[in-house]
Amino acid sequence: MTVIFQLISGRKLATLGLFWLLLILACAVFAPLIAPFDPLEIDPVSRLSEPGGSYLFGTDHFGRDTLSRCIYGARMALIIGLGSVTISLVFGGLIGMISAYFTRVGMVLMRVVDVAMAFPALLMALVLMTLFERSVFNTILVIGIVYTTTTARILYGMVLKLKSEVFIDAARCSGAGHTSILFRHILPNLISPLLVQASFIFAFAQLQAAALDFLGLGLPPEIPSWGNMLSESRIYVTRAPWLLIYPGILIILSVFSMNLVGDAARDSIDPRFKDDIAGV
Amino acid sequence: MLAYTIKRLLGLIPTLLAASLVVFFFIHLIPGDPAAILLGDAATPQDVAELTREMGLDRPVYIQYGLWLWNVLHGDLGQSIFFQEPVLSVIGDGAETSILLAIMTMVWIVLLGIPIGVLSATKHGHWIDQVTSSGAMLAASIPTFWLGLYLILIFSVGLGWLPSSGFPSLFDVGGATNLRYLILPSLTLAAPNAALIIRLVRASMLDVQREDYVRTARAKGLHPVKVATKHVFRNALITVAAAFGFTFAALISEAVVTETVFSLPGIGRMVVQSILRRDYPIIQGVILVIVLVYVSINLLVDLAYAWLDPRVSLK
Repeated sequence: MTVIFQLISGRKLATLGLFWLLLILACAVFAPLIAPFDPLEIDPVSRLSEPGGSYLFGTDHFGRDTLSRCIYGARMALIIGLGSVTISLVFGGLIGMISAYFTRVGMVLMRVVDVAMAFPALLMALVLMTLFERSVFNTILVIGIVYTTTTARILYGMVLKLKSEVFIDAARCSGAGHTSILFRHILPNLISPLLVQASFIFAFAQLQAAALDFLGLGLPPEIPSWGNMLSESRIYVTRAPWLLIYPGILIILSVFSMNLVGDAARDSIDPRFKDDIAGV
Repeated sequence: MLAYTIKRLLGLIPTLLAASLVVFFFIHLIPGDPAAILLGDAATPQDVAELTREMGLDRPVYIQYGLWLWNVLHGDLGQSIFFQEPVLSVIGDGAETSILLAIMTMVWIVLLGIPIGVLSATKHGHWIDQVTSSGAMLAASIPTFWLGLYLILIFSVGLGWLPSSGFPSLFDVGGATNLRYLILPSLTLAAPNAALIIRLVRASMLDVQREDYVRTARAKGLHPVKVATKHVFRNALITVAAAFGFTFAALISEAVVTETVFSLPGIGRMVVQSILRRDYPIIQGVILVIVLVYVSINLLVDLAYAWLDPRVSLK
């Protein structure tokens, strides 16, 4: 945690973004304690009630409390973000590292990555979703797979550079095996760029998941995610605009914050980008 | 340059072949008998048996692939289950909308992205720069369908200035004025992509500003505006040109969502509907066409890049 604070120190917007993300994290973890109602509880009498009174954010077409659904939505956002980041970093990382380290294997693996990258991201996610049932796990899997290719490509370039460094030669001379060189000497040098990549994947995953939900090809409809909430409220948009506002703003602020934090972290790791958003 | 072009064209063949393999096997990954899937629920066992023979599904899989590829190369992408029409003609029906949408979106991206990016870079560190830079990042954080719905609420429902859905062909009544149906969708699609271009133009202008030849230009007393336009902007544009390829890729993907929000009769919405209808031949055909377009656009961008910056083709 302190590492992240150090990385973004001196950047007001990024710090605000980090606080917002911590708030979302707290909502996700303590959702049952914070949420005033059960997110699935149906109350037909008070359907589509305006914000105020006992329903602070109003209710949807089933009379479910929007605030509670938003709070539980944070949980879904976190699960999807962490899940797809883990999949893409582990698989993308391994593919990238192995391809760059063992050049022969790399020739084959990176061609596969090239072919996968010939499919635009959302299209690939859509097509993969046609093969799977709608479920939380499958949504995470699909988004994870989509970003595995970009991660592999980025790490490939980095490991290629690292491989020719003197300290790797030194390790090899002192008798270190391939596994040891890859995981004890190369991997530690990739941690910071991997963290930055993770922040961007986390942000993109939110947008992709919301888009899949909106198209009816993401999470199962009964799960309270921000994307599903937006997708359902579309028909009631003129009668109940609040249904569109709250989940939308939550997605935007979370993605924006994640981008700000990622940007700030990247700048402090790589001074080349220092000028990108000066002082913001 | 010619050698480079030929090299790149040849390099395209393995990628396209591999992509075609993926698309071909897509239909085999779906659980069930491919012939039954292709014919849909209404098919009789006789139909299935006939198609199995016709497609060669009873033959070894490499022969099946060969036959399929042969048909694809002859423009035969199969028959839509839902429309009962050749896939290629169904895709053709959606092409006008999608192409016009893509063109209008690119126009917005250029009109918004480049000037704002240049402004941001020339005012580096100033509050204008901070507002535009963080504004661009905020714009890139908005889900496209959410933006689209709000534009509809404001400009169609609220003000009544622009139509909210559909797109009559340019050849129908109304002619070119029908383009107003595409104003909101193209703006929706342009927003996050223009944001990326703003950030990119700004970053590459700042990069170029540090080059020696820019210092030389300043030192010999050239007017700052001339330095910015003739030396900085022109060279910064090289990097930006490459980004248009990525942007176009993003466009294809996001058009799926935008066309759905605005109920446009384009290829993107057709993909979603075909997925929901399980119309696999269409899905297969559209993926193939999109991959082809995507790969060719990227090739064109790379060639343009090599032409703008001769160092690239010499590598």
